[in-house]
Amino acid sequence: MEADKKLIKDLTPEIEKTSLKWYITFFIFFAFFAAGIYGLILQIDKGHIVTGMRDNVVWGFYIVNFIFFMGLSYSGALISGVMHLFHTGWRKPVIRMAELITVISLVIGPFFIFFCIGRLDRLYFLFIHPRIQSPITWDVIAICTDLIGCFLYLYLSFIEDFAILRDYADLNVAPWKRKLYKALSLGYSGTERQQKILSNAKTIMAAMIIAIAIIVYSVLAWIFGVTLQPGWHSTIFGPYFVIAAVFSGTGLLIILMWIFRKVYHLEEYITKRHFVNVGVLLTVIAAFYGYFTFSDYLTKWYGSIKMDSILIDKLFSDYYSLFIFANYIGILLPCIIIAFPKFRTIPNITIAAVIAITALWVNRYIIVIPTLETPFLPIQDTRIDWIKYTPTWIEWSLTIAGVSVFAMLFMLISKIAPIISISEMQEKDKNEILK
Amino acid sequence: MSVMKKNIISKVLLLSFLLPLSVKAYTQEKTKISPYIQLQYFKDTEDQRVLQTTLSYSKDRMELPLPGMEISFFKGGVTRELISRITTNNKGIARIELGKDLKLPVDRDGMWAFSSEYMGNDTIEAGKSEITIKDVRLEMALTETDSIKTISLKAFIKQNGIIKPVPGEVVKIYVPRMFSLLPIGEVTLDETGTGTLEFPSDLPGDKEGNLTIITKFEENQVFGNVERKVIQKWGVPTEYSVPSSHRALWTKTPPMWMIITLSVLLAGVWGHYLFAIISLIIIRIDAKREAAKGKYKIQK
Repeated sequence: MEADKKLIKDLTPEIEKTSLKWYITFFIFFAFFAAGIYGLILQIDKGHIVTGMRDNVVWGFYIVNFIFFMGLSYSGALISGVMHLFHTGWRKPVIRMAELITVISLVIGPFFIFFCIGRLDRLYFLFIHPRIQSPITWDVIAICTDLIGCFLYLYLSFIEDFAILRDYADLNVAPWKRKLYKALSLGYSGTERQQKILSNAKTIMAAMIIAIAIIVYSVLAWIFGVTLQPGWHSTIFGPYFVIAAVFSGTGLLIILMWIFRKVYHLEEYITKRHFVNVGVLLTVIAAFYGYFTFSDYLTKWYGSIKMDSILIDKLFSDYYSLFIFANYIGILLPCIIIAFPKFRTIPNITIAAVIAITALWVNRYIIVIPTLETPFLPIQDTRIDWIKYTPTWIEWSLTIAGVSVFAMLFMLISKIAPIISISEMQEKDKNEILK
Repeated sequence: MSVMKKNIISKVLLLSFLLPLSVKAYTQEKTKISPYIQLQYFKDTEDQRVLQTTLSYSKDRMELPLPGMEISFFKGGVTRELISRITTNNKGIARIELGKDLKLPVDRDGMWAFSSEYMGNDTIEAGKSEITIKDVRLEMALTETDSIKTISLKAFIKQNGIIKPVPGEVVKIYVPRMFSLLPIGEVTLDETGTGTLEFPSDLPGDKEGNLTIITKFEENQVFGNVERKVIQKWGVPTEYSVPSSHRALWTKTPPMWMIITLSVLLAGVWGHYLFAIISLIIIRIDAKREAAKGKYKIQK
């Protein structure tokens, strides 16, 4: 397979050599990761008493992070799947990042469940004694199925690039990398027949992962929705979670575009047009997300069920700042920044994305924690520090470790594979893309 | 470096080494656990007497058990005699059954004295608990007249061979349910040491209507815990078995629609995965064929 030399050089900045900057950045993330591991060891040694979780609030940061990372994953799948299916012209420089977000987040997310489980040694019970009626079982089946599907889709999208790298003689890489490209490319040589088979497989899998992403994230939402807990028992939680996931994923995509553009000087490939397009998508999703949020809280407030009223009072008192940030500032500010053409600069759109993604994380926090702090019946110990959840440094460290692992995996993948799809970029409409 | 300077440095080093040790020792001394020790007396419906000691401590305003600790049980007040030594279980409880032939010294008020003691160790302080018990006999008679079910209670003590009633004492009546004892009522004994209680007629029993009725002196300061238990057909016969074929969220067999939905979804998804995997295999086979023909070349 042949490809433009410049294109290969530009899109594989870390494959041949590793810069000092790369090592330093990786070391910093690794230090955060190590701190998280230390926290985890302490937690395993002393038990969950070292976390802020107690009898009432049994789900803390870990579940918030789990939902957040799973949301990023499903949004990545949705964005890349939709872009692929509809042959969006400008998708090509960003589609690979969306695919990577999908797989990396999906690998990290479930670890937070492991951190949250008190008796990890009993985890295999989920597989040997599953009850089909349990939403937890649905979630286990769904995540496993999704993980395999997303890996498969990612691999399909990488085959052509591996073949290009395999056949590019000027690529100065270690012999093991060449062997890896040879093995992973499956001998793909880009014949018409191979292209057709690969294209069909990618299209089928793109459609499939859209469906799976919607179903799987709905299942996660139903874990909350099917309970009778105030704030969770909602019929719109499935679609609400899906929209929220796309909101966060779009935000993350913009941030990654900005980082890779800046670090690897990809200004030629990731242009303002990409930022504006993804930004507009973020605005549209924000509008839907805001609509769902408003509908959910309005019906709860108007219904005036006692526990719902207590919860909403709590959200507007104890959690006032977080609630306003998550559900007003986090939705309206990105919309305002992107809606006015005057504000649509690359830094502004990136700032809007940072606000959106932070607000979404806070939104997850105020969905999980205040509800658990509002039990129908208080459980045994009613001291304030047991009712009110406050995360400990161990939970913070594992949260930061999760983000660090996300960054490290992205960096490691950039050492092996192109961060922007070469094969997509060298297609006929390349000039159109780069306009 | 002068000798004086060297001395100062070595002293500082020595102090810096000893200081953490002394602080640690002080901390350990300060954090020695003060246990709660509680001795209780039980007499069941078979007149089997049991002494039970609970050893626990308070941490973070929670009571936690102290398992694996040796508790010594004694009989007698002023002159104590060791009955036995028992190690506490995971709940911090040590129990000993008092044999019916065990002779117990009686004081001039006709009371038995018992005590239990924990000797302490490096981390836990010693503790002791004492009780005095007067042996009481609790009797229960069940009668039914015109569909009115009545429990008649009588309690008395024997002192110097004379039977004496125990007026003013409270006897509680329970029926065991799935998780705990359901309180039915309580009776305060009159001056003859007797009392009655009308028993409800609408309590579900087993499939034959059997109910276990328990009457007891509970944590009584003089008599301890004394219980009388009777099984009587005073309940409403109730069939609890669930049809095994019933499919529901709470049974072992899930609803059929759920199995079908899940199976269809999984089959659909995995079918598509299979298609993608087969496509990869076909690409591999095709590539081998192309390579054999020497069709693709390496870019220079």
